[in-house]
Amino acid sequence: MIEREAKIVNQLGLHARPAAKLVRVASGFQCEIEIVKDDVAINGKSIMGVMMLAAECGSALTFRATGVDETAAVEALAALVAGGFDE
Amino acid sequence: MTTDHRRLLGVGVSPGVALGPAMIVRHDVPDVPNRACLPDEVDAEVTRLHLAVSGVVETLGQLRDRVRERAGREESHIFDAQIMMVQDADFLKSVEHLIRENRLSAETAYEFKALEVRNIWAGSGSALLRDRLADLTAIHNRMLTRLLGRPEEELWSRPTDEQVIVVARELSPGLTVQLDRDHVVGLISEEGTRTSHAAILAHSLGIPAVMGAVGALDLIRNGTTLLLDGQSGVVLIEPTRTDIERARAQLSRRQKLELELEAAVTQAAITPDGVHLTLMGNVDLPDEIMNAARHDAHGVGLLRTEFLVTGRAVLPTEDEQTDYFRRVSDAFPGYPVVVRSFDLGGDKFPAAFRAPPEANPFLGWRSIRVCLDQPEIFRPQLRAVLRAGADRQLQLMLPLVTRVEEVLQTKEMLLEEALNLARAGIRAAASLPVGVMIETPAAAIMADQLARHSAFFSVGTNDLVQYTLAVDRGNARLAERFAPHHPAVVRQLRDIMAAGARAGIGVSVCGEMASDPLSVVLLLGLGYRTLSVGPPALPLLKWVVRSIPIAVAERAARAALEAETAEAVTDALRSAVQDVFDPRLLEALSALPRPTSGTSLTG
Repeated sequence: MIEREAKIVNQLGLHARPAAKLVRVASGFQCEIEIVKDDVAINGKSIMGVMMLAAECGSALTFRATGVDETAAVEALAALVAGGFDE
Repeated sequence: MTTDHRRLLGVGVSPGVALGPAMIVRHDVPDVPNRACLPDEVDAEVTRLHLAVSGVVETLGQLRDRVRERAGREESHIFDAQIMMVQDADFLKSVEHLIRENRLSAETAYEFKALEVRNIWAGSGSALLRDRLADLTAIHNRMLTRLLGRPEEELWSRPTDEQVIVVARELSPGLTVQLDRDHVVGLISEEGTRTSHAAILAHSLGIPAVMGAVGALDLIRNGTTLLLDGQSGVVLIEPTRTDIERARAQLSRRQKLELELEAAVTQAAITPDGVHLTLMGNVDLPDEIMNAARHDAHGVGLLRTEFLVTGRAVLPTEDEQTDYFRRVSDAFPGYPVVVRSFDLGGDKFPAAFRAPPEANPFLGWRSIRVCLDQPEIFRPQLRAVLRAGADRQLQLMLPLVTRVEEVLQTKEMLLEEALNLARAGIRAAASLPVGVMIETPAAAIMADQLARHSAFFSVGTNDLVQYTLAVDRGNARLAERFAPHHPAVVRQLRDIMAAGARAGIGVSVCGEMASDPLSVVLLLGLGYRTLSVGPPALPLLKWVVRSIPIAVAERAARAALEAETAEAVTDALRSAVQDVFDPRLLEALSALPRPTSGTSLTG
């Protein structure tokens, strides 16, 4: 298992489009991915879950991955979040 | 509003006559009977669930493609998120679990789980999640409709040869992007007014529409034949043969006139006594660009930018706006395009900035006020105009100005952004003409002062009339009192022109008045030489211009300025032109679908 943290920098937070992007990227990996915000943990491959996090600008997300490609997964996700989802 | 069983009266918001079968569009979540299933039916229910998912995904995909075509790629991304939500594996697993464990029917289980999610999201107190509720409702609705075997009422899935009149409680911005003049010949809604987004859209697409038709859904069924008059606001239910014949005669008269007017399109906008006018188009939506160009618009006098924002969860990016401004400008080579900064307020707001409901939205936080208070909305737009203006004739127009500071602040921000762009080495104009849309009495009275800081004026007559007369143009009870010919309006039009002329800046009209024949005579007589109207009104406008000598218009305007009442102004104009217009033609013009009296919101 590997963990990585990233902060939401988008002004509008994790709204529909970035949430969709995040789930698309997460779903491209084989490992299991959990995203934790405060004390809520959700499945990173479920858009309903990601939406439920209601992560606003400035909130910190922890990516927790378990599986063969876990390192690549958390790195890709953290980069996506830190880079503001290329918006 | 009077109602009997055959006749409904609402507010005519987009003129024209339409005849066709009703298509009811409902957005209510259907009621789900609580149904259990037998143990040997469980697998079938699970299969049904997954079939419904693929069906909804397909429909949403079609909708996404259609929206992309009509409104642009960015707007279509909203549906990507909905598609992923419908397919969410965790959620579907929980529904499947419920079907198997509790032997519930697919729709009962889906409803249960969707409500569970809804409760969590609605109770979270997060604005982000509340915005997502609309998406949740949309897919919830689609899934249940499908699982219950109800017909899906998608406008675009209709066969192309069937033309319908859409009837709804309310026409949402989401629904209006689907309006298609090939399929939808008329619109009726129980709620809504002239100022509704749907009304403006219907008007600019030339679809006759009646709103505020209370009781429509009680009296009308799917397939009921309807005859609607978008001018008077009358809807006839199951019209008689005589009704229809009368309407047909009106339609053919109208079409004949339209042909005549179309012939005027290629001719020059010049009065019989040789005065040249500049006729421009107002553009709300991308698909009106070509319509304006085809009608020989010499540029765009009012490019609305709200469509980039309404109905979307996120703000349009600077690049996206730059591309749009370039695209519009390229359709009018050699002519200017006047970009109006975001005229946001009330329901026209990006979800993220939606303010709490206001008691008086028309006197509230809107337009230039929002832009100046929220630089994160305004600055990207300024940058986009500057970038697109690098090698194109773009101008910036500020709506709802009431204070000189608003113009000064905007110009300062524009300068800052021009410097930022230059510093970053991005190709952009160093400055742009910034003008004021005169649409409040404050701006009209201050016109001489504003003129010192403005590159041009453009009069938005709809709001000017509304704010001057304290009359809400969407209120059916006040329809008679919404009088563009009121002497208070006429005098302001005179003074605005005079202030602009003294300062040596251009003054144009981009409001509804510029498409009403008699009002055009008044405007010409007051000295206005540049008019901008919705593309469908251009042929009529040119026809009027080509029939009225300026000398006659000036005489008419002088008489109008003497009049004490709106009615007397109209009479004065009418009697001044009666030797020039064939009165029968003028009468027939009032039956035309698009031009003449009143709709299209901001102008």
